[in-house]
Amino acid sequence: MNEIIAIIIAAVLSWINFVLIDTWMGLPEEPGVKGAEVIGRAVKKRGGDLAGGFFQGNIVCSPDASAGTLLASAACYTIGTPEGGLIAAVIVYFGNRLCADPGYAGTTGALTITAIIFAASYIGIGPADFIVGMVLAIVTIQGLHHPLASKLLGRIAKKMGRHTKLT
Amino acid sequence: MIIHANVLLTISSYILAVASAMILGLVLRLPILPEKPMRYSWTVSIIFPTSVLAVGFTAVLFKLGYNGLLVAVLVGVFTAIFAKYFLERVLPRPQMEESS
Repeated sequence: MNEIIAIIIAAVLSWINFVLIDTWMGLPEEPGVKGAEVIGRAVKKRGGDLAGGFFQGNIVCSPDASAGTLLASAACYTIGTPEGGLIAAVIVYFGNRLCADPGYAGTTGALTITAIIFAASYIGIGPADFIVGMVLAIVTIQGLHHPLASKLLGRIAKKMGRHTKLT
Repeated sequence: MIIHANVLLTISSYILAVASAMILGLVLRLPILPEKPMRYSWTVSIIFPTSVLAVGFTAVLFKLGYNGLLVAVLVGVFTAIFAKYFLERVLPRPQMEESS
């Protein structure tokens, strides 16, 4: 498969994987640590959505499904599929516990992306494409425009019943 | 579709590691699932994280060159004991809520 197309497909799959799992696991509902709350309120002050801001803060402050997706992709590339992804899930879990996070989002994200990488390898998309794709996916959330991204995340959170009750 | 014998052995090993971790977890009276809402629960249970750790530790040993069903069973046993007695000591839950 053409490398550019493979990276775009991998980016879309990675984006859907980590945004849906992180939202499902309640990242927009409340900040896990003080740093996430500061980021969420700063994003809101700049015209963004508070739940989306908490989501952005939480993925900065502890390894959630975004980190799980990236680490599992890198581990599948270096160690092999699926062993790399399974090892990454354990490492992400330990990282979560160190960051005052119970670890559901990160571990689930690492395991699901391992399954996706395994399936995608049959259509010619490899772990390396997922590493680049995940970096692009996270740039759309954290690197381009925080208020706009937070509004999108807030809307997804509302649809999934995970919008914050805090004000 | 051809499935090689070593692939079947690997899959069986992972299943065996999880099964032995679950059985010993039950014997050691680990809860099967965390209490609800699960996404905020810090309870160490059989499904999470014991099963995930069992699969991950098995993958580590396979990559280090230790293969076989016996290795998988031993990893499962080790994981259940680790989850029951050592996990909370090595990686304790936070003492207090940082945010309010």
